[in-house]
Amino acid sequence: MTGKERVKKAFRCEPTDYVPWVPFVGCHGGALLKINAQDYLKSSEFIVKGVREAIRRYRPDGIPVLFDLQVEAEVLGCDLKWASNNPPAVVNHPLSNGTKLEQLQIPAADQGRIKIALDAARQLRHEHPDIALYGLITGPFTLALHLLGTDLFMQMFDESSYIKKLLDFSGQVSQSMSRYYIEAGCDVIAMVDPMTSQIGPQQFAEFVTPCVTRIFESIRQQGALSSFFVCGHAQQNIPVMCGCRPDNISVDENIPLDYVRDECLTKNISFGGNLQLTSVLLLGDEIDAQKNAIACMEVAGQKGFILAPGCDLPYDTPIKNLEAIAPVVRDSYKRQVVMTMAARSDEDDRLNLKEYGQADKVIVDIITLDSEACAPCQYMVDAVKKVVPEFEGIVEWREHKIKYRESIVFMASLMVRNVPTICIDGQITFVSRIPPRDELIAAIQKRINEKFRMRIHQKKASLYVLDGGDEKTAMVRERIAQAVQELGAEVQIETINDPDTIYSYGVTPGQTPAVVMAQYQLKSLKQVPEVVVIKEWLKNI
Amino acid sequence: MADLQALANAVIKGNQAESVRLTKEALGEGIGPKQVLEDGLIAGMGVVGVRFKANEVYIPEVLISARAMKMAMEVLEPKLAAAGVAPLAKALVGTVQGDLHDIGKNLVVMMLKGAGFHVEDIGVDVKPDVFVEKIKASNAQIVGLSALLTTTMPAMDKTIAAIRQAGLDCKIMIGGAPVTQIYASKIGADGYAADAASAVDVAKSFLN
Repeated sequence: MTGKERVKKAFRCEPTDYVPWVPFVGCHGGALLKINAQDYLKSSEFIVKGVREAIRRYRPDGIPVLFDLQVEAEVLGCDLKWASNNPPAVVNHPLSNGTKLEQLQIPAADQGRIKIALDAARQLRHEHPDIALYGLITGPFTLALHLLGTDLFMQMFDESSYIKKLLDFSGQVSQSMSRYYIEAGCDVIAMVDPMTSQIGPQQFAEFVTPCVTRIFESIRQQGALSSFFVCGHAQQNIPVMCGCRPDNISVDENIPLDYVRDECLTKNISFGGNLQLTSVLLLGDEIDAQKNAIACMEVAGQKGFILAPGCDLPYDTPIKNLEAIAPVVRDSYKRQVVMTMAARSDEDDRLNLKEYGQADKVIVDIITLDSEACAPCQYMVDAVKKVVPEFEGIVEWREHKIKYRESIVFMASLMVRNVPTICIDGQITFVSRIPPRDELIAAIQKRINEKFRMRIHQKKASLYVLDGGDEKTAMVRERIAQAVQELGAEVQIETINDPDTIYSYGVTPGQTPAVVMAQYQLKSLKQVPEVVVIKEWLKNI
Repeated sequence: MADLQALANAVIKGNQAESVRLTKEALGEGIGPKQVLEDGLIAGMGVVGVRFKANEVYIPEVLISARAMKMAMEVLEPKLAAAGVAPLAKALVGTVQGDLHDIGKNLVVMMLKGAGFHVEDIGVDVKPDVFVEKIKASNAQIVGLSALLTTTMPAMDKTIAAIRQAGLDCKIMIGGAPVTQIYASKIGADGYAADAASAVDVAKSFLN
């Protein structure tokens, strides 16, 4: 099933192999190309490159050509203030500055940035026939606000017939834009009308429903699919939005997804959303993004759902957060791993494993979900099991199943983030990859060699010459001194005369002169080692 | 006798003409301007605020109610001044540097005015030093910062730092779509308002 087929099926509430994923890449495409939002949003070439890069990195099933709700407004005479890391903002409103509604014309396909968007749509259609391409248009209410300014709200009471005429005009603009995008090859027309969140259902039904219903009907007649995007606190309007008969409704995190699911599915309308834009995608990490994606999918269920951010992705959204989503969408095993790790411990619970792996033996830790239950984990454990006997007792292996809390703590302490992972003496060595036998042997051997070298450097010793008053003691000392000098060894030599101390070494005065050697090994510095670590040391005694 | 409940209802419905007429009538009958303000206009806007928070009314209704109150205030204000009635407190509200959004900020201004605060609206895209300058000039006790973009939220931090550095003794509250209580606490704001009606509650809490 291609991404396009998957999105289309989900839109029709038909079963899909997995939930389609549609990242709303707008000015964020500029960040992917390391250029500012203004340059990006003004060039079809950059838009194509940015979307191409987003497709490569985020592996989506569908993607918008452009996410900029000021394109139509700009053509209709609104001045824009551009920003380097945001879409532009409308700074004046022609209908409040003397322009008459009758003077405004429906924009043509070759006007202003409409042409740029359509050129980009055609090119992307050509390059990516298997991805659902979204053409985003400004919804009539939001466009009307751009044209008139916030006076619109009060004029809904004072001059309702004028506002209805204005909405009829902006609805015609939306309808034309949808036709242009469909002709350019888009599969889905997403009508984005965030400002409707500011009004209640009665006003919505009176002012917005008539023109919006016509737009969705016209999209349907052209054989394309429609989505109604809203963001903000718009829960009150979901039922009236459904009444406009779009194929899909997409919301942000301000509206509970289960509510949208129940409202939409009973009317056989698909729905989408509502990854958290700021707190998770922008400010969180990959694990947060994956957890949020899984939470959305669990609430939404399999039927008629499109996983998407709540709105236009912020310019600076970390790329790795978005890259982390496709794997959990497509792979139920990865979802299971993330959910198990959701119970991961806090920083405070982590063990200090700085000194881990200092024992004589080499320790191979395999972090798994459970090798009895998951195939990749099983193969990884088998690979280690087969290799270890070749080292004849100097390598030990252990499996840590992260279904147990202590294993999760251990995993977090070693900074392991993927399962399965092989750590050799606490160092992450193979991540989510079962190493070929030779590679695994080489990695373990490398560690053995390192330890051997370290041990030679680290070892210090003392030689105690136990002197019971015998004349031979001086000779013993001389010979030890000579040996130490010849070897260049770092050894302290100490003569012990106290009979009690001599006895403590199990030597009687009659047995002197005797020599006792004590070896020292530096184990930790300026820290309190964990018990688990000390145990490893003690095993060598 | 003039009906202050009817005046409150006129404000709730956003009926400008009725609000002005009932205000004049009440004053004409010798009801004190403070009582007309509190039992008529502020009482009406208070109901609007409660309904707004409960999602019973939306922005257009709040705006027409605020406009009805404003028209009535034009009649009432000279009388309040003559009677020496001081506003609840002086507040100053603006959208921070780099952000041009004003709907949320305008609503906060209206709701605060509706609750009896003297409010100065210093507009959008306001630099930290301009906030400092305007607070000094107005002696505002309460300052509201608005931001709608994640990218302009850091300007709130800078503005608060500038106000604190200038040693100004005022309470600062912040709000806007991406703003949260956690962020407010992090940058040292005195309060966070989730919506315009809550901004009134936060501002009032500063007075206690």
